[in-house]
Amino acid sequence: MADAVIDVREVSTTLGGHAIHRGLSLSVARGEVVALIGGSGTGKSVLMREIIGFLRPQSGHIALFGQPVWDATPEQMNALRRRFGVLFQDGALFSSLSVEDNVAAPLFEHTALPRATCRRLARLKLALAGLPADVARKRPSELSGGMRKRVALARALALDPELLFLDEPTSGLDPISARAFDRLIRLLADSLGLTVFLITHDLDTLFSIIDRVIVLSAGHVLGSGTVDELKHIDDPWLRDYFAARSSGREPAHGN
Amino acid sequence: MSDARAHFDEAAGALVAGGAWHAESAVALPALHGKAVRVLDGAGITALDTNGAWLLLDAAGVHDGAALPELRAFTPQHRALMELVARHADRTGVLPPPRREGVIELTGRGAVAMGGHVAGLLDFVGRLTFELASLVGRPGQWRWREFGAQVRDVFVGAIPIVIGMMFLLGVVFAYLLGDQAVRYGANIFVVDGLLLAMLREVSPVIVAVLVAGRTGAAITAQIGTMKVNEEIDAIATLGLSPLAVLVIPRIVALLIALPMLVFIGDIAGMAGGMLVAKEQLDLSYRMFSDRMLDVIKLKTLLVGLGKAPVFAVFIAMIACRMGMTVSRDARSVGEHTTSTVVQSLVAIIILNAAFAVAFVRLGI
Repeated sequence: MADAVIDVREVSTTLGGHAIHRGLSLSVARGEVVALIGGSGTGKSVLMREIIGFLRPQSGHIALFGQPVWDATPEQMNALRRRFGVLFQDGALFSSLSVEDNVAAPLFEHTALPRATCRRLARLKLALAGLPADVARKRPSELSGGMRKRVALARALALDPELLFLDEPTSGLDPISARAFDRLIRLLADSLGLTVFLITHDLDTLFSIIDRVIVLSAGHVLGSGTVDELKHIDDPWLRDYFAARSSGREPAHGN
Repeated sequence: MSDARAHFDEAAGALVAGGAWHAESAVALPALHGKAVRVLDGAGITALDTNGAWLLLDAAGVHDGAALPELRAFTPQHRALMELVARHADRTGVLPPPRREGVIELTGRGAVAMGGHVAGLLDFVGRLTFELASLVGRPGQWRWREFGAQVRDVFVGAIPIVIGMMFLLGVVFAYLLGDQAVRYGANIFVVDGLLLAMLREVSPVIVAVLVAGRTGAAITAQIGTMKVNEEIDAIATLGLSPLAVLVIPRIVALLIALPMLVFIGDIAGMAGGMLVAKEQLDLSYRMFSDRMLDVIKLKTLLVGLGKAPVFAVFIAMIACRMGMTVSRDARSVGEHTTSTVVQSLVAIIILNAAFAVAFVRLGI
């Protein structure tokens, strides 16, 4: 694929004697919103940490924007880090900074803009993330879980990355906030032309905003495609996974 | 690193931008000197992100509630992005910096905080007493395992540093005392002086300071982190009292461990002195120990050892209370740990002074 933003080839990982990935390959094209699903312990978060350069796989090739992650010099890696944003599972906001400074932190560090301008840009990101004006001067500990996630999203967007990694963006949110967060991600992906790679357990997210789903199982990619395509794959885990939803109700707005 | 460019066309009132516009492109903005931008021309823009769009709109004064300037020759995607940013730009005006508090305000706040602190300490002591009393009624509730683990951490773990530190202090004291004594031929009296200083003052205070830094800080950090992780709430939910589970075993462990550590410190200090006495004062080990046994009074030893439990209770209570009052963020854990060490040191110094005065008045 010529315009692959994420390119993972033949990655194998062993952690603590357990083989997590066995020759796993996947790629994500520019502008796609892709979800990674799989049972607990299938190495979804491990794979994401490998892609963003936190954890070295035993073997295999990982490239972002055509640049190999694990052969990059520190300078190349820093340049690469400016091109993607990461939303950690619990937000991982800096508790000692105000909300505004949390979002402005990447701008402080990576641009030559005056600090006041960085803060004004931070407030723009907060507005884009759908947060009310009065949160800017608050501390992260004063916000609800859903608001913290939005602040974390605003921080991930601070440098206008082309690629966004989201680790379980809707976990810990009530259904209303979760759907609103889904819509926000889709809106930002469409209007800013983002590529989004997200890990999720949330079936509603899959049915509402995802272009393509990648299923991890037993160390490799079991299948990849739209939700409807995946329903035809004969796999016990996948069957149970979708059964958990269809027994309740039909998708309200599929793709 | 950016190839962004922009110039201001005075006749048309147009800001004409080109190249790639992102956060680093701010340097390319021309000085407008307050002139109104009526048109934004984006024909030459090759790449645009929200940061770049905002910089252009900001130059056109959009955040001040000014009408959106005419967007001319933008590609459809860039136009959509400009409009999206413009819709959210009303909040990006320059905010006044947060108000700084004056001296009077800070003093008032400090006083109120101090009052709350003292009240909180009283409350803590009260609840602790209550908890301790109910534990006496139900000895089955006593947590032996936790207590044992604490004694091991506090006592066994501290032995090497206590021995090392007190031994070296003994060396220094004996050396300095000996340097004076040898001029008067009073070599043997170094033993008297060293014994009194070590047993009565140096060992209790230094060991207490060590334990405050080592164990007090650890207790606060541990309980504070448990508080952040809601583990304290989980203990309460199980119907257990966090005070009985976490605080009381630590206080009792420290109460027992500190006098023992002081005693070990006494021995190490005298051993250090003995070494110097042999080298510098020609006092053999035998002479040193004979003299030591001649002049040692049980009272001297007990005065030193008697101070230790009092220090221990203060260190443990300060450490546990500071841990329990951590708020749910990382900075707070650090602040409270620092505060534990500072408060403990102040408490040790004040208590030691009070003891000294009291012992003189009582003729001990």
